[in-house]
Amino acid sequence: MQTTKAHWWFVGPALFLMVVILLMPIAIAGALSFTSYSLGNPGAEFVGLENYEKIFTRSTYEKMFGATFRYVFVVVPLSVGLGLGAALLINSTRRFGDLYKTIYFLPVMAALIAMAIVWEFAFHPTIGIVNSTLERGCGSVLEAWSWFARGCERGFPLWLTDRDYAIWTVAFIGVWQGFGFNMVLYLAGLTSVPRELYHAAEMDGAETAWDRFRLVTWPMLGPTTVFVVTISFIRSFQVFDTVEAFYPQGGGPSKSVYVMMFAIYEKAIQQNLMGIGSAITVVFLAFVMFLTLMQRWLVERRVHYT
Amino acid sequence: MTAISLSAIEKSFGTTPVLNGINLDIADGEFLTLVGPSGCGKSTLLRILAGLEAPSSGEVVIGGQTVNAVRPARRNLAMVFQSYALYPHLSVLQNMMTPLKLRDLSLAGRLPLLGPVLARAQYRAIVEQVRETAEILKIDHLLDRKPGQLSGGQRQRAALGRAMVRKPVAFLMDEPLSNLDAALRIHMRSELAELHRSLKTTFVYVTHDQAEALTMSDRMAVMMDGEILQLGAPHDVYNDPQDIRVAEFVGAPRINLLPGSLDNNGHARCGDIVLSRAATAGAVGSVSIGLRPEHLSLCEKGTPEALSGQVVHKENLGADIYLHVSVLNGSQRLVVRVAPHEGQGASFGQTVHIMREHGQALVFGKDRKRLDLKTAGTGNVAEVA
Repeated sequence: MQTTKAHWWFVGPALFLMVVILLMPIAIAGALSFTSYSLGNPGAEFVGLENYEKIFTRSTYEKMFGATFRYVFVVVPLSVGLGLGAALLINSTRRFGDLYKTIYFLPVMAALIAMAIVWEFAFHPTIGIVNSTLERGCGSVLEAWSWFARGCERGFPLWLTDRDYAIWTVAFIGVWQGFGFNMVLYLAGLTSVPRELYHAAEMDGAETAWDRFRLVTWPMLGPTTVFVVTISFIRSFQVFDTVEAFYPQGGGPSKSVYVMMFAIYEKAIQQNLMGIGSAITVVFLAFVMFLTLMQRWLVERRVHYT
Repeated sequence: MTAISLSAIEKSFGTTPVLNGINLDIADGEFLTLVGPSGCGKSTLLRILAGLEAPSSGEVVIGGQTVNAVRPARRNLAMVFQSYALYPHLSVLQNMMTPLKLRDLSLAGRLPLLGPVLARAQYRAIVEQVRETAEILKIDHLLDRKPGQLSGGQRQRAALGRAMVRKPVAFLMDEPLSNLDAALRIHMRSELAELHRSLKTTFVYVTHDQAEALTMSDRMAVMMDGEILQLGAPHDVYNDPQDIRVAEFVGAPRINLLPGSLDNNGHARCGDIVLSRAATAGAVGSVSIGLRPEHLSLCEKGTPEALSGQVVHKENLGADIYLHVSVLNGSQRLVVRVAPHEGQGASFGQTVHIMREHGQALVFGKDRKRLDLKTAGTGNVAEVA
């Protein structure tokens, strides 16, 4: 039946590029993860599942997972929630909407590595603006808060170098940087909500803003939310530049900020342990794939209505 | 009894006036239609009544109470939107439950998952109420479907069901049939009229389709340029239009208008035709003479006062044939309704003769208002004959 091979010429270039620049590197990383390959070595030794065994048994990698999941599960809900809140607020104002949009979007546009340096100054224990501002509150009613009183007595925390605070501080910067992006996506989603649905909701007796949000806004933003959550997950799994800027010497105080991307970089690039680096990459890929597929299956079935 | 009263309603968007002092009283249980071309302000008036839009000035009274400051949700009106505005993520059952849930249930009862358990008796009553309404509208087999899985007509019924399920003071309908196909639209006209008869609730219906207004309403208000030109029963509006714009808008095909003038005795003339009825003395000047297609008929050559012209177009509607005839040397076009057996033979370019039914012509003055015609004395009749 087939008389022409023209179709191969049409899909060929795309297929070729996809294989060469996307699928092959993944396959190579997968293959390398079973070896002890180092860059520059002529050959590599097959070590089986040894690399994976290390990842799931050694305490360094336990810390890596801990830091990554702490970061992800703080940044995703907060940046999605704040993004939605900011979008709803901006959508409801008649004036200055564009100004707020610009302000909230600024951190997204700024290079995070440069912003990390600014934050480093802000969080500096002696000259930083954060702690000096907190110190001004000493002696006031704020001291009723025991955490604050302790800070006045013994000095406020070293935000970036205290292992109890470091990951949360980095997560805070992640939220600060990321929620403007989610806000823009939500603003786009809000423009496509039909005005008549709000009128129908009002006629049906939805008197409070919360009722209208529950009945119209939130369900109609379903497809946007799926996209925003997925994007936020992937972006926060990928966090690297803040960690590299703050802690170039390896993952922060007691490796409490040793996120996966940084681990890949440290193992594969800095220490030239390609095998273990590839193994972390494969695990990383598996997480992202799992989350993406789960969201598609669980949520998308319920948020597209036509 | 007056259910709804609008007085001196004005509305402008920026500097553009949309409504210029509308006064309208709607009786309890009445089917009132607001009809007019697009942009005449009829939808805005309905939305002001609903409370979705605030009037620039004027007063809205529902059930003897001024509701200008009352929000839409508290006015106890139900609205059917042109786009139906069903919640796409909810099934028909949930869509129809929404107004009852929002009004009858406490905050706790509306909680997802937990709510149906906390307020089980209330939920059962609500579902029962929805099922009853669905049976009336014959959509009880569709209750589990989402709006996206319904046809246009089924969505329309679901939207109607959502409005009907509680007992509102009045139903407001904003062109609810305009998204349906022609056959279904005609079918729904009679269904809506029947529904109104059985519910005995006030209906305020907005449409641009004069046929819907004529077929369904108890009274119709013809609106144009932000004003109500005429308010009355469909029969009166059609047969006794007070403004040339009303005469042109109501009736399909449109009324035929011939340019004419009033002579000193108040008789309107157009070429050889002179109307036997006369306007009040003193009125002179150019006028428009309106003749409905059904008041014209074909006649033999030589009939007095007949107009002759060529057939330029023929519309065959089955039961009737409308002949478009070019008269007065091609300067005017008349539409004549003829019976099929008469019209069948007419061919393009053929010369036909048209006679009018006496006493049916409508004369409009330069100010677009209708001129009252009275049967004049015998002396004048002689002149006419």
